[in-house]
Amino acid sequence: MKRLLLACVAPFLVQVPAQAQALPQATARKSAQTFTLPNGLRVVHLENHEHPLVRVLLWVPLEPADVAAGHQGLPDLALRLLSRSPAGELNAETFERSLAAAGIQFEATCTQDHMEWRLLARSRDQDQALGLLAERLARTALDPALLERERLDCWREREGLDLPPRERLARLLHLDPTHRPTAISLGSISFEDILAFRARVLRPQRALLILHGDLGLEQAKRLLLLNLGAWTPGALESRPPAPFTALAVPPDPIRITTGEAGLRLQAWAPCPADVSPESATLLRLLVVAEPVTHGIQHRVEASGLEWTLEAGVASTPAQALAQLQADIETLRQRRFTQADLEQARRVFLAQRPLEALHPEAQLATALANATGTGVALGRLQDLRLEDLQADLARWLQPANLRIGALGPVEALKALDKP
Amino acid sequence: MRLLVTLFATVLALHAQVPRLVEVQERRLANGARLLVVERRGLPAFHAELVFRGGQAEEPTALAGATDLLARTLFGATWPEDLQPGKGPGHLDGLLRQEEGILEALRLERLHQHRDAAAPSQLPGLEASLASLQARLRAQCSTRTLEDVYLSQGGSQGAEARADALRAWTELPTAALDLWCRTEAQRLQTLQLSRFSFQRDQLAAELRARGPQGPALLLGAALPGHPYGRDLRDHLPTLEALRWSELRSYARRALSPGRLTIIIVGGQSLDQLAPLVERSLGALPLPQDAEEPLLPEIPSDLGDRRVQATLGTEPRLLVGWRIPPHSHPDHLALRLAAALLDGGGTGRLITHLVRQKGLARQVDLDLDVPGGRLPGLLTVDLRPATGHSLPELEAALHTEILRLQQEPIPPDEWAKALALLGTEYVHTVDDPAALAQALGRAWAEGGDWRLLGLEAQRLSTLAQETVQAATRAWLNPSHRTMARLEPSLTEAHDPLDQELVKVLGALAEARIPDLAQREHLVAEGLRQLRMLSPEERLRTLHLMEAQLPPVKR
Repeated sequence: MKRLLLACVAPFLVQVPAQAQALPQATARKSAQTFTLPNGLRVVHLENHEHPLVRVLLWVPLEPADVAAGHQGLPDLALRLLSRSPAGELNAETFERSLAAAGIQFEATCTQDHMEWRLLARSRDQDQALGLLAERLARTALDPALLERERLDCWREREGLDLPPRERLARLLHLDPTHRPTAISLGSISFEDILAFRARVLRPQRALLILHGDLGLEQAKRLLLLNLGAWTPGALESRPPAPFTALAVPPDPIRITTGEAGLRLQAWAPCPADVSPESATLLRLLVVAEPVTHGIQHRVEASGLEWTLEAGVASTPAQALAQLQADIETLRQRRFTQADLEQARRVFLAQRPLEALHPEAQLATALANATGTGVALGRLQDLRLEDLQADLARWLQPANLRIGALGPVEALKALDKP
Repeated sequence: MRLLVTLFATVLALHAQVPRLVEVQERRLANGARLLVVERRGLPAFHAELVFRGGQAEEPTALAGATDLLARTLFGATWPEDLQPGKGPGHLDGLLRQEEGILEALRLERLHQHRDAAAPSQLPGLEASLASLQARLRAQCSTRTLEDVYLSQGGSQGAEARADALRAWTELPTAALDLWCRTEAQRLQTLQLSRFSFQRDQLAAELRARGPQGPALLLGAALPGHPYGRDLRDHLPTLEALRWSELRSYARRALSPGRLTIIIVGGQSLDQLAPLVERSLGALPLPQDAEEPLLPEIPSDLGDRRVQATLGTEPRLLVGWRIPPHSHPDHLALRLAAALLDGGGTGRLITHLVRQKGLARQVDLDLDVPGGRLPGLLTVDLRPATGHSLPELEAALHTEILRLQQEPIPPDEWAKALALLGTEYVHTVDDPAALAQALGRAWAEGGDWRLLGLEAQRLSTLAQETVQAATRAWLNPSHRTMARLEPSLTEAHDPLDQELVKVLGALAEARIPDLAQREHLVAEGLRQLRMLSPEERLRTLHLMEAQLPPVKR
């Protein structure tokens, strides 16, 4: 009997350390598979058995009609309330503790155009992780008692009041002024508005889920059906919300007073929605390649371009601001050549294998492809120099620039003096 | 039979808990550099890291900022001209020597002018020479990022100066592996530093703009006279006097093969990589004067130290305990203690001080500040919630530390902290960049890259008593330094504070003739008013304004 038991046990002992180890690494990664759950939730599955980890990204796009007139900050406030209210039988603290006990990373974020939930868990905890996500999405009973406190905290967070001044400036510049929540807009949001927003937005038909990691396709389907298959949206309000109306744009530039000695000027140009992903990708490469002049640093992000100037004593604050604007205008007028375009294309293609080094980048690409915002090789090859040039001019036009300043009071006041 | 089943169950449980060790292959190159390879079959790209042990802590005072400058000048970008060895006057090397001469002459002339403004100035002439020379230099240098050797191959690169090491990393497609080996060897052999003067000015400007920082103040007070306690901002004149040739000769010593570990995570095996690396980086010569610097030691129990400063725009309590280096047996126990205090958003400090008692608005905890090769700090940074003072926070933090030292740790908290560190390890192993960085850090700080995996294994056998004993030994008042930072009165940035200062001053002016007493009263008044909520402060302001004569309102 003992021998029999040992004979059964021995091979199992060898296999114990995770499914990930058993598979040869060369075949550990497979191409993306897509499927849809009966409740309409679209899923992209990226199988990768290299390590015993599972990543989940649940992405819900926001539409302009989701936020009613004067309710700037509604998605942020709704997300905060959703994150702090009891999920099923778990209150917010127990929910956090359950995540921490299993070492699951769980993050919910919101921008002006989407809401997202990200999970990272060991593959042995995948069921629990998805179960907690399902609890949060489908079984959270929003608590009206939390609303007042969350309103204030939401405003503090969006304004970056707890951030170091440099980070705060960057945060404020990245916020679209027309979507920037104010104390008034947040104060006008009622609990019923939040319930209606949730019913309208948090619907499986609208969402997209990307699952990456150490689980097979069939296993993924079973797991999702079990946990998120029962996610059904609440009843929709028959009356659509009033169309979004922009609030008055705050005065430009944004000014932040600090005890720091120098003046920092920063400009941010978000990528316009009508610039194609292919054009935006190549322009990012070409713009970052431009030489730095007058001590202006520039940085390229997925969502836009940023310039920073640490103004010295050689010029007045107003002159420094004029210099920054002039440099951006020079770049706007820049005429690229066909050779530049070809070189940028080559660099983009050469960069693609690097994605394999970054699991999060693989999720981002899968998301972009699934939402039609990814770079298509055919369109990339067809892109003409004139289109690229026109897109750059639109991207860097003064109306699309947001400018901010950080420094001592006197320097900020002097920005307006010629 | 039952015994066997129990044994089987125990083995299974242990197997499931102990994280798998990452498979690293190691080889020592002919010149003493180490090569670590983590093979991930099928990866079409690789992450490579060069880690030079030493870092900011080993910089001589006369070369303060050298590691930062090397990270910026030598690494982070790969310009074709930097890979060409100098070939006599007129070439880049010769121009850089000339630039160094003019820059030094300019610096001395400025000092001279500062002392004697009436003396005839040679500044305009020197500045014109510098401008003309720098124009010639620019003409020899690439200006567009797409000319960068790695970027043009689709790669990316970066560098970081840390207290214990200088690390430079590159990511490239596998096809560019040979190019990477040759380029790095060429870079270290040539040590061109062509953007030296620009980067030095840039670093100095950044340091100047940054202003005094709370954490630097804490480090200076906790580790006096030690390189770990040095604030580069205090050494600006030294940085500005640093010359191109000095940095170059420092680089030859600091970036020698004996101090180098090369870490590659990618699709290639050690056997495939070793010949390539041996031919290139393994052929770098050893410097003649490879002397290891002697670093001062600080006793950990210097006594409880306190600093009070007016700094920043909001009150802040910074506490640091001197803890042992990464290689010390107590270090892992302290890491677990840190996870108990600050782990995963449900640690004790955030749960008790922020959520339950509402004393703090924000809590941040850091281990091994600024480094872990030598005794560094475990720091806690607390920002009080509205209506609460720094002494309240100090008392509450002390209670939490005492609880950790004396009360039994609840099993769920213990399991949570273990899960947190266990998952952290799995995430690190999963991400090639994080893995290379962690291996480099374990080697530079702990002396052995194996520490990364060994610590993950040792966690499962760590006892609660060991953690409590370590916290009693190290997180005690004799190892502690505390910095209380209060915002400046005169630089009050909150408009309400500015109004309060004005009204308090006007009220005091009518009653207290002594100027010093008046200033003290205003400061104390504002300090106490800051403990009220904004609404209460506004009401108090209106009440005080009502006491002023109409002309002063």
